[in-house]
Amino acid sequence: MVEFKLLAHDLGRMLQALSLMMAATVVVALIWREFYAVPALIISGLIPLAIGSSLTSYFGGTVEVGKLHGMMIAASGWFLVAVFGSLPFYLVAWTIHLDPALLNAPDLTGRAASTVGAFRDPLNAFFESMSGFTGTGLTMTDDESSLPRSLQWWRSFIEWIGGVGVIVLTTAILARPGSGSLTLYESEAREEKIHPSIISTVRTIWWIFLLFTFLSITLLWLAGMPAWDAINHGMTGLSTGGFSITDNSIATYDSPLIDFALFPVMILGGIAFPVHYLILQGQLRNFYTDLQTRWFFGFLAVGSAAVTWLLNRQDTYESTFAAFRYGAFQFVSALSCTGFQTAGSLGPKWPTEAQLAIAFAMSIGAAAGSTVGGIKLIRVATFTKGTLYRIQGVFVPDTVVRRFRLDGRKLDDAEAAREIEEAAIISFLWVVFLSVSTLVLLLVLPIEPGEFTLENVIFEVTSAQGNVGLSSGITGPDMPTPAKVIFLFNMWIGRLEIIPVLVLLRGLFQKFNVYE
Amino acid sequence: MNPEQIPFVRFAARFGVEDRVLAAFMLAGPLVVSSLALLGRSAVTSVLAGAYVGLFVLYVAYRGVATDGE
Repeated sequence: MVEFKLLAHDLGRMLQALSLMMAATVVVALIWREFYAVPALIISGLIPLAIGSSLTSYFGGTVEVGKLHGMMIAASGWFLVAVFGSLPFYLVAWTIHLDPALLNAPDLTGRAASTVGAFRDPLNAFFESMSGFTGTGLTMTDDESSLPRSLQWWRSFIEWIGGVGVIVLTTAILARPGSGSLTLYESEAREEKIHPSIISTVRTIWWIFLLFTFLSITLLWLAGMPAWDAINHGMTGLSTGGFSITDNSIATYDSPLIDFALFPVMILGGIAFPVHYLILQGQLRNFYTDLQTRWFFGFLAVGSAAVTWLLNRQDTYESTFAAFRYGAFQFVSALSCTGFQTAGSLGPKWPTEAQLAIAFAMSIGAAAGSTVGGIKLIRVATFTKGTLYRIQGVFVPDTVVRRFRLDGRKLDDAEAAREIEEAAIISFLWVVFLSVSTLVLLLVLPIEPGEFTLENVIFEVTSAQGNVGLSSGITGPDMPTPAKVIFLFNMWIGRLEIIPVLVLLRGLFQKFNVYE
Repeated sequence: MNPEQIPFVRFAARFGVEDRVLAAFMLAGPLVVSSLALLGRSAVTSVLAGAYVGLFVLYVAYRGVATDGE
């Protein structure tokens, strides 16, 4: 039986953590002297703080939560955080529009006005927030460079936090007594622990993430980015979110050096934190002994070469180097689920097979336990090896005792079946929701010559559900409302690996007697 | 005053990979990024940024060789 009051306390803590994020953003607004944004940001922080504090105090101390409630907390918590995380976009946009006395809001015109003005629609603000927290990177903005600095920061900050996880943040700063933290941690699409204690684990994750953030920012600055750009792109690149503060993502810089400097940043984001921990301890052999990391580099090498070849074959670019530069960047961006673009919208220019190769990479994603979305490499490996294991089993007598080898583990038949089943269920659900969403988009979008094609739609849905953010040009503020809603759903389920959201929906349907 | 009374110093020292040099890289991170943002691009800041990234890579490689060779 679902007890919704068991969710309230933890949801309140997540909202309190969100309000702390808003407080940090007020500081950014003050530094950039965007005083007109400060009241909107303070109100945006006070609302979740008030609701969160009410929930935590009214519903008493923490309780031990099982798998059911852990999943429901994760799913509903991410939804609520995205809802309240939309307030800065919404309130700052209205502040600029209404231009209240004494606040001295800027008088925006042209694309700047339409970019900020899009957030006066609460659905657009919610879309941006969900895209940010889930690390997707699809955006409702037209010209990111014209956004106020405080909103540029908020977009980067929510991707940075969302890359590691809202529950991981909450657990790190508001330590939760009891064993429920582990259940919540696992409900947020994480499994491996670095230390026996979950609180030590999440704090070590943040430690590694912070160190890599400083390094990423410094590397991008060295490659030629201005400091503010390096800070934002370092954060969104490492968290594999992909929001940019420029009008045309990384293509704006038109710099091979910056393109290549982003490779290690995105790749770091695609490697699991426990592997980072071991590598920083000096165990470099984990680059090839860890199954996911090995497969990640293998996919990167083969995929980048394949896309380069496909682009070169059709003379999409003027030279082989240019084909490699753009092809490899887009492939690394897709496989790491980052979503930075250097090739503009791929729709009109890239050949179909190259777009589908990128879509394939987006659906797979990189390592579980990192910051990426997608199905994850461990499941692809389990599925592939499991299929071979089943086929090879036909050639072996029944009396032979066999072991399924996976990532250094030897599993018996029952354990192997469980692993393969888990990978199969997630992959199956992934394809089902991908198909349904594609169908809905085909119904609501103009699919005709000169407009969008089927491969554009598959590309965009895969990008949303894989939390990637590469776009074939479909996503934008003028997109039909049903398309925005379906993308919101795709981003939400993609970040939590689908099942927690289905568990929450089933719980809600039961609660409100939808089945009767 | 004990430096660990500062929350960030305590965080850098206690949670990580149990290595003083890497903890120093963590502590230096905010200072390096602040320097780049406040002082702008110059020979000094370029050397600082290059040293921060370069020394980190060299140290991790050195630590890997030393550890994997054990």
